[in-house]
Amino acid sequence: MHLSVKPRGPRTVLDRFRQSGSLKCLYPRGHSTELQAVLVNTAGGVTGGDRFETNAHAASGTHLTLTTQACERAYRAQPDQSGQIRTRLSVSDGARLNWLPQETILFNGCALDRRLSVDLTHGAELLLVEPLIFGREAMGEVLLTAQLNDRIDIRRAGLPLYLDALHLDGDVQALMQRRFVGGDARAVANVVFVSHRAEAQLDPVREMLPDTAGASLLRPDVLVLRLLAPDGFDLRRTLIPILTRLNGHPLPRCWTI
Amino acid sequence: MATPTDILTLGQWFSPAFPVGAFAYSHGLERSIDQGQVRTADDVQDWLDTVLHHGSVWNDTVLLASAYRAETPEELIMIDATCRALAASRERLMESDLQGSAFCAAVRDVWPVDLSDLTYPVAVGRAARLMDLPLELTAQMYVQAFVSNLAAAAVRLVPLGQTDGQRIVKHLTPACRDIAAKAVQADADDLRACSYVTDIAAMNHETQYSRIFRT
Repeated sequence: MHLSVKPRGPRTVLDRFRQSGSLKCLYPRGHSTELQAVLVNTAGGVTGGDRFETNAHAASGTHLTLTTQACERAYRAQPDQSGQIRTRLSVSDGARLNWLPQETILFNGCALDRRLSVDLTHGAELLLVEPLIFGREAMGEVLLTAQLNDRIDIRRAGLPLYLDALHLDGDVQALMQRRFVGGDARAVANVVFVSHRAEAQLDPVREMLPDTAGASLLRPDVLVLRLLAPDGFDLRRTLIPILTRLNGHPLPRCWTI
Repeated sequence: MATPTDILTLGQWFSPAFPVGAFAYSHGLERSIDQGQVRTADDVQDWLDTVLHHGSVWNDTVLLASAYRAETPEELIMIDATCRALAASRERLMESDLQGSAFCAAVRDVWPVDLSDLTYPVAVGRAARLMDLPLELTAQMYVQAFVSNLAAAAVRLVPLGQTDGQRIVKHLTPACRDIAAKAVQADADDLRACSYVTDIAAMNHETQYSRIFRT
């Protein structure tokens, strides 16, 4: 899928859009000047051999929010196969892009290879969250074997600004149970906020965090946050007020408890 | 093969007497101790084992090796920026940045090499290349020095006996050897970490009320 947005007066409107395969996009009407795009995986999940590609560009003066209609589900894959997700976002000067997908849920036996690449210019703003759930314990789903390659790579003016790479292969449940790895958490989220407002948000955001989370200002305009939670519900309960605050607007409607 | 002079030079770089100020940094361990999560020698060993196998050590060593192999100043700039981008918190970035500058300054002042300021692992990789030191041994001694420094921090903070600290280092030395040997074969596509609890501790060290260490 390729999508780009442009300014029209105070509003952000679609510039170019092309979709194919099982990845679709909805544009709910809103009163706000931003453009919201809701990604829909009509296949209902990702398994071995799947390929999903999303490219989005926010031109100068635009405000684009991308989210997903549902949680992404990484299902059991055939041996030697993996599902591939590639997302490339680019944000121009004076533009703001929000990448706010719902949780990705890993199922036992999944094999997911995912890359999220973001290209920023010096005057671009970004709010990004990537929530991940390692099996839903309440549903009796335990990750005794899973493969995950997951990378978030944010660059500014071509140089790496934030990089988070996860490579799991095997008994993820046992790994996450280790005291100083996951401390028995089954849900984790990364948040990155690149904005001239980042520094002022550090203290208020810290006030909103449980003991199993931390926030830090890597640069005066780069705020990062990492959050561990026992399950997806708990993760979301902490994330919603924080993301709402950083966004400065209400979140897309799918972000409810 | 490493010559005796190579080994002695590396011994000098990674000695606690080499002025990088390593003793001032705890990588977030001080926070975990303050929180009561780390109270015994076994806890310290588990914390260090996590950072070794699942934390920053792997990435740092991969970048050390990339810097060693870098052929152009542009490549080196990209590797250094990658090292900064991987920092889990502001203090982790400071740890890498300040030790790197101090290491570069000391090496420049003592040896006839042209070394501009870089983050610590990148600086070590570059300096080793400029001085034609063996990569794998450099990486192994770098990792062991990292572990040894944090064990010393634990001895002061937990507190533990001196021999407890040395037992931890001895116990983790085979892992230092193996992880470094593997990391020097890896490249940027192999970067990874998942030591969430230790990373969060490093973030929260920033707001810890009473602290001895800078990180």
